[in-house]
Amino acid sequence: MNSETNIWKTRISNAIPLILLVVLTSPIVIGFIWILISTFSKTTYGLEPQGGLTLDNWSFLWEKDTKIWTVTLNTLILSVGQTVAVVLISSLARYALSRISFPGRKAFLSMTLILHSFPAVTLLIALYFVLRWISDIPIIGNGLPIIGGFGYNTMGGVILVSLALQLPLGVWLMKGFFDNVSWDMQRAALIDGCGHFRVWWQIIMPIIRPGIAALTIFSFITGWSSFLIPYTFITDQQNSVLAAYLRSLLSDTAPVSYSTVAAVGLFQLIPVMIFFIFTQEYLMSIFAGGSKGGT
Amino acid sequence: MAATGQTIAAAPPQEGLRSKLRSASTGFWFMSPALLLVIVFFFIPSIIIFGLSLTNLSTATGFQNWDWIGFKNYEKIFNHPSTKTIAQATIIYVVATLTLFNVGMALLVALLSTHIPKRAGFVFRTLWLLPRITPSVVYIMMWKFMSAAEPYGILNRYLPFLFDGKNLLPNSPWVFVILTNGFVGASFGMILFASAIESIPKDYMMAAMVDGCNIWHRIRYVILPALRWPLLFVTTYQTLSLLTSFEQILLLTDGEFGTEVWSLWAYHRALNNYWGNFQWGFGAALAVIMVVIGVVAAVAYMRFFQFDELVQEPRIEAL
Amino acid sequence: MEIKLENLTKKWGAVVGTDDITLDIKSGEFVAFLGPSGCGKTTTLLMIAGIYKPTIGYIKFGNRIVNQVAPKDRNIGMVFQSYALYPHMTVYENISFPMKLKKTPKAEMQKRAQKVADMMGIGHLMDRKPGQLSGGQQQRVALGRALGKQPDLLLFDEPLSNLDARLRLSMRGEIKRLQIELDITAIYVTHDQVEAMTMADRVAVIKDGKLQAFCPPDELYDQPRTMFIGGFVGNPPMNFIEVDVARDAESGDYHARCQGLDVIVPPERGEKAAGKGQVILGIRPEDITVADQGVMGETFIVEPLGRDDLLDVRVDGIGIHVLADPKLNIKMGQSVALNFDVDKVQFFDPATEKSLLWN
Repeated sequence: MNSETNIWKTRISNAIPLILLVVLTSPIVIGFIWILISTFSKTTYGLEPQGGLTLDNWSFLWEKDTKIWTVTLNTLILSVGQTVAVVLISSLARYALSRISFPGRKAFLSMTLILHSFPAVTLLIALYFVLRWISDIPIIGNGLPIIGGFGYNTMGGVILVSLALQLPLGVWLMKGFFDNVSWDMQRAALIDGCGHFRVWWQIIMPIIRPGIAALTIFSFITGWSSFLIPYTFITDQQNSVLAAYLRSLLSDTAPVSYSTVAAVGLFQLIPVMIFFIFTQEYLMSIFAGGSKGGT
Repeated sequence: MAATGQTIAAAPPQEGLRSKLRSASTGFWFMSPALLLVIVFFFIPSIIIFGLSLTNLSTATGFQNWDWIGFKNYEKIFNHPSTKTIAQATIIYVVATLTLFNVGMALLVALLSTHIPKRAGFVFRTLWLLPRITPSVVYIMMWKFMSAAEPYGILNRYLPFLFDGKNLLPNSPWVFVILTNGFVGASFGMILFASAIESIPKDYMMAAMVDGCNIWHRIRYVILPALRWPLLFVTTYQTLSLLTSFEQILLLTDGEFGTEVWSLWAYHRALNNYWGNFQWGFGAALAVIMVVIGVVAAVAYMRFFQFDELVQEPRIEAL
Repeated sequence: MEIKLENLTKKWGAVVGTDDITLDIKSGEFVAFLGPSGCGKTTTLLMIAGIYKPTIGYIKFGNRIVNQVAPKDRNIGMVFQSYALYPHMTVYENISFPMKLKKTPKAEMQKRAQKVADMMGIGHLMDRKPGQLSGGQQQRVALGRALGKQPDLLLFDEPLSNLDARLRLSMRGEIKRLQIELDITAIYVTHDQVEAMTMADRVAVIKDGKLQAFCPPDELYDQPRTMFIGGFVGNPPMNFIEVDVARDAESGDYHARCQGLDVIVPPERGEKAAGKGQVILGIRPEDITVADQGVMGETFIVEPLGRDDLLDVRVDGIGIHVLADPKLNIKMGQSVALNFDVDKVQFFDPATEKSLLWN
C-alpha cells in the first residue's frame, strides 16, 4: 500500500468520528435553527419561511396590554431571588458541615447526600398543602410586596420551593470547593481574631469565588427556565413566569401560532444562551467535579 | 509542679462542655436556614404524603368530609385497571431512555468527541448541553414542530419517503418521548464520561499504541475500564432521575397516546387534570410508592458507593 | 510571658497525639520542639494556640489557665509552614488584619503595619497580593502578620521547610535576631535538628507523643538522654555498637568489648555500663579519628563531603562511620586504624533505649 492511500486512510478514519457526531447532533442543531427562522416568519413549512420574513411575531414586546414584561420581571425575581438564596444558604450550611465540629454532623452530611438524589418532584402534592398552610400565616403568607408572600399562588412561595429543592444540590456542589481551602488558612484566621461567621464571610467566601460563580450560573439558569413549580403553584398562568406563560400560549384553544410562540421562546432562551456561552467552562467543571464522588 | 495541686481541683481539665456547646450552637446557626427549609419542604411533606395516602381527601370530599381509609388507596392502586399498563410504560420508558441515551448516547458522544481535535470536541459537547439549559417549554416546542403534520413538520417535509405526512406524535409517541428526554439526559453522562476519558494518563494510551492496539482494542482495554465508576454512577443516578421525571412528557403529550408514566399519573390525579377533580389521597398513595422506591434506591446506592468515606472530621476544635 | 504545659495529653479516640507532656518555658526564651514527622510536636503547638483542646492537662500563660480561652484572646502570633496568607488581600491588609479585628484605630494600624513591614524588609510591597510575591517574601509577610499584633507569644510551625536551602539559612538568622530584639517568647516546631540546635535556647525532643528531653542544645548533643536523641541530633548520625563492658580486675580499667573491638573507656562512664550484659555504645563520627594504632578496620566506602571525608569502615562486619581529614586521602578498601575519643563515648540500655549515663 503506498503512502498516498495511507494518508487518505488516516484522513478518513479521522473524519469518521466527526461525521458521526455531526449526524448525531443534527436534531439539536436543526431544532434551534428552526426556532430562529420561525420567529421571523409568518409560518414555516419545515425550515422554510412562508409569506416572507416579518417582525410581527415579536409584536408581543411592544403590544398594548402585553403581559410579557410582567412575566419577565417575575421570572427575573424568581431566578435572582432563588440564586442569591441558594448560594448563601448552601455555603453557610456547607461551611458548618465542612469546618465546624458539632454533634450530628455526620448525620447531616449523609442526609444531604440522600436528599440530593431524592425524587423531590414527588413531594409536589404535599407541598401544595404546605404552601396553602403558609398562606394562612398573616403577612408572610400573602401580604408581602413584590413577591406577594410565601404562600400558595405567590412568587415567594415558588421561590421558597425552588430554593428548597435546589439546596441539596447546592450543598453537595460546594463540597469540593470548601474542602480545598487549607486548614492553615482557617487556623490563621481564628488566631487573628475571626469568629466563625467572619471566617466564612471575609476569608473563605472570597477564596472560593469560582465555586460560587459556578453555583450562581447553574442556579440562575435553572431558575430562569423553571417551569413545573411555577406551573403547579401559581394559578394564573398569564401572570406567572416565562415558561408557564409560554405553555399557556401553546395550549390555548385558539389555533396555535407557532411563530409567535417560537418568538416568545427565543425571547426566553436568549439571556440563558448568552449567559451560557460566557460561562460554559465553569458549568462543565462543576458537572464533572461535583458529581464524581469517591475520588 | 507542686503548686498545681490546688489548681487541679479548681478547673476541669478536659474539653469543656461549654466549648462543645458553643461550637454546636455555632454549627446549628449556620445550618439553620438550610435546616428550616429542608424540614419544611422535605420532611414535613414526606410525612404529609404518607398521611394523605391513608385518606380519601379529594375535591369531592372537600376539606370537611374526608376520612381515614387506611390502606384502601393502596388496594385501589393494586386493583386499578391502569396500574399494570402504567407500570409497564414506566419501566419501558426508563430502561429504553437509559440504555439508548442517558448511558448509550452519552458514551458514544463522549468517545467520539474525545477523538477529534480538542476544540471541535468541546464545541460538540457544548451543543449537546443546549437541550439541558433550554427552557423545557421551548425545547418541547421544537420537538412538537419536528413531528408536526405536513406541511409544517420538519420530519414530514424533508423525509417524506419515511413518513406519511401526518402528525407523528399520536402514532409513535414513545419514540418522541424517548428522544426528547434522551437528548436532555445524555449530556449528564457525556460530561462525566468525557472528563474521565480525558483524565486517563497519556501513558496508558501511548503504551497501548506501542503495543499495537487498534482503536477498538484501545476502547475495550484502556477506556472502558477507566469508565467503570462513572458508568455505574451515571446508570444508578439517571435511573432514579428518569423514574421520577415527567416534566417533558407532561409538556409533550400530557400522558396521551399511552405515554402516561407513574409519576405523571400521580401528578395528574392530585394536581392537574382536565376535570378539576383533585384526588389528593389517591395521588399521594401513588407518590408514596415513588418516594419509597426512590429512598430505598438512594440509600442503597449511597452504601454501594461508600460515600461515607467523603466525610472528613474538621481539624479545628476551637470555639 | 512564661508558658507552662502540665500533663498535656491529646487523644482522638484510641489515637494518641501527645502523651503526658510537661514543660516550663521561661519568658523571652526560644524553645524548639524537635522530632520526626507525626510525633506530636505540631499537635502540642496547636493546643498552645487554642486550635485543639487538650484531652487532659493544662496550658498556662503566666499564671492563667488558658485551656478554655479562644485563640483570638490568647494574644499569640503564628507562622505556618504554608504561610496561610489571605490570597485575596494585599500585603498591607494581611498584616493589618489582626489589628483591624481588634479595632485598632486606623492611623495606629498603618503606622505599626509599615514599621513591621520595614523591619521584615517588605515595606515596599504593601500593595501587592501574596500571589505576586516569592516564597521568601510571603514568609516575611506571614511573620509580619504575626508580629503586627504585638503578641506575647510567637508560634512557628516548620516555617522554613518550603524555602530553598540558602534562604533557609538567612531566614534562620533573621528570625533568631528578631526574637532576641523583641524579647518575645517563641516556640518553634521543626523536624530539622540543625534548625533546632542553632536557634533554640532549649530544645524539647518529642517522639511518639512523649517528651524525651528538654534541655539546651549542647546538652542534647553531649549528653543525649535516649538513643533516639543520640541518633537524631547531629549529622552524620551517631554510631551505635553492641558491646560488653567489663572491668579488668588487674588494671582497673573498664573495657568495652565486642568482636574486633576493644576500647578502654573512662571509669565514670564505664562503671555505669559495666556488668549489665550487652549495652549499646554510642560514638559520633567526628569523635573518631584515623590514627596509626587502634581499632582495625577496612574502608568500605568513602564519601567526600568537602570539608571532611565520610568513611564507612567495617570492623569485623560492623559498619562504623568516621569523619576523616580529606588530606589523608583514604581510599576504598584501604585498611585503617581508628582511634576513639573515649571521653565522648555514650552508653545506652538496649531494652529501654535510655542512656545509662544521664538519667
